[in-house]
Amino acid sequence: MIDRRSLALLSLGGLSLLAGLTGALVLLGLGMPTATTHLGTAHGLLMVLGFLGTMIALERAVALGRTWAYLAPLGSGLGAVALLLGAPPTVAGALLVAAGIVLVSMYVAFDRIEAALHIRTQAVAAIAWPVAALLWLAGRPVSAVVPWLVAFLVLIIAGERLELSRMGQLASRARLGFIGAGAVFSAGVVLTLLLPDAGVRVAGLGLVALAGWLASHDLARRTVRMGGVTRFIAICLLIGYAWLALAGVLWIGFGSTGGAAYDAMLHAIFLGFVISMVFGHAPVIIPAVLRVPLPYHSRFYLHLGLLHAGLLLRIAGGDLLGSHVLWQLGSVLNVIALLLFVVSSAAAVLQELYQRRGSQPRRAIPTALQREAVRSTEHRS
Amino acid sequence: MRPEPVPDAATEPMSVSGLLGMPVDLGAINEALRTVIDPELGVNIVDLGLVYDARVTDGRAQILITTTTPACPLGPYLTDGIRWALLKLDGILDVDVEVTHDPLWSPDLMSDSARQQLGWRG
Repeated sequence: MIDRRSLALLSLGGLSLLAGLTGALVLLGLGMPTATTHLGTAHGLLMVLGFLGTMIALERAVALGRTWAYLAPLGSGLGAVALLLGAPPTVAGALLVAAGIVLVSMYVAFDRIEAALHIRTQAVAAIAWPVAALLWLAGRPVSAVVPWLVAFLVLIIAGERLELSRMGQLASRARLGFIGAGAVFSAGVVLTLLLPDAGVRVAGLGLVALAGWLASHDLARRTVRMGGVTRFIAICLLIGYAWLALAGVLWIGFGSTGGAAYDAMLHAIFLGFVISMVFGHAPVIIPAVLRVPLPYHSRFYLHLGLLHAGLLLRIAGGDLLGSHVLWQLGSVLNVIALLLFVVSSAAAVLQELYQRRGSQPRRAIPTALQREAVRSTEHRS
Repeated sequence: MRPEPVPDAATEPMSVSGLLGMPVDLGAINEALRTVIDPELGVNIVDLGLVYDARVTDGRAQILITTTTPACPLGPYLTDGIRWALLKLDGILDVDVEVTHDPLWSPDLMSDSARQQLGWRG
């Protein structure tokens, strides 16, 4: 039976996604109504904390299973609604900061159960969330907030992948490599507070190192040889690592003076790495949080292909070659890919629920005699 | 329930419970649990060492599982998969799945088959 609490929170994340995508169209200069102008300004926060933040916080709340943990996705979802409605920044900012603090608290709870590197890596990521929201609340420019938003997503994902890599016979030397890459990246992000240009370049070095580590040690290298959803997830991941490495190179090369490259520096990570990861894990995470089946379909490669083709067009044709039309076209393909992802996933859920209506596993109702017979059998040899 | 490894169906086909004419043995439970696959890894939950205990009482299966980390949200996903797999068995009337992290999972719990599938050497 569907988890209505999770559905409500996921809907807030979905609303934020739609608002963020509308903001993207505003930023693309596609003649959107003036009533949506503020969504262009809030695009980054809506997508990262409103959509992805709510999804991630909801995943963790489900994992922890404590009621208070659901305040994190609730706070980020409501923060996104405040942004969407054009409420004063203090309202949205306070909600987003509070949500981030609850997420950090969740990781404190996880750490008490399992004090491990992968948990602490994600805890560092969680700390980047409220820092990003505070910087935004303090009126710092978006370029100062972005490294923290990136830190939140990249370190959360890297921590998750580190955890799974344990199943692939991870050597202790490889763990040290992970710590080194993560430390360089984190140090760069912190440095952006004082020396933005140097900080971005150092963080870029960390991004390249993390991408290299993930590409070398992630189980996806092995599971890509399997089939179905397992292969799909692995392909989403491996393509994502290529984009992460490219982003790192751009961060090193351009620093805080990104200019035309700024768009590529951000979207190679947010779309190429993070959204690719989201596409891959949706068939796993949606059933986990909503308690509904989302069977894998080969058609999922369509939105994945559109995402990466659009991004390639946007970065190569738009940012590199300077074609405004190709930049717009690629970006619109990215928006379509995300919308198709939502529609295709929802259709898969509904299709499966419809098919299952007639094929529920038989649950026999025992007769009194049968119950008595069962009572007399041994419990376990 | 106290965590114990699930006996291998091939070596310990223990009869644990049953209805009239519908015996349920642990081998059948074990085989059904092997149909529940961790989608990320493509390996079943028994070989991953995620199943700590399985028993059947009065037609009710009680399964104790873990996830590879407490931050993993797959508990409900695996719970639903286990219920779906076991309710197909004759003699299983209900399924209770409990998720625990005591003791914590570790790669040592993986079977040789799982290690082989995930590319372990040596």
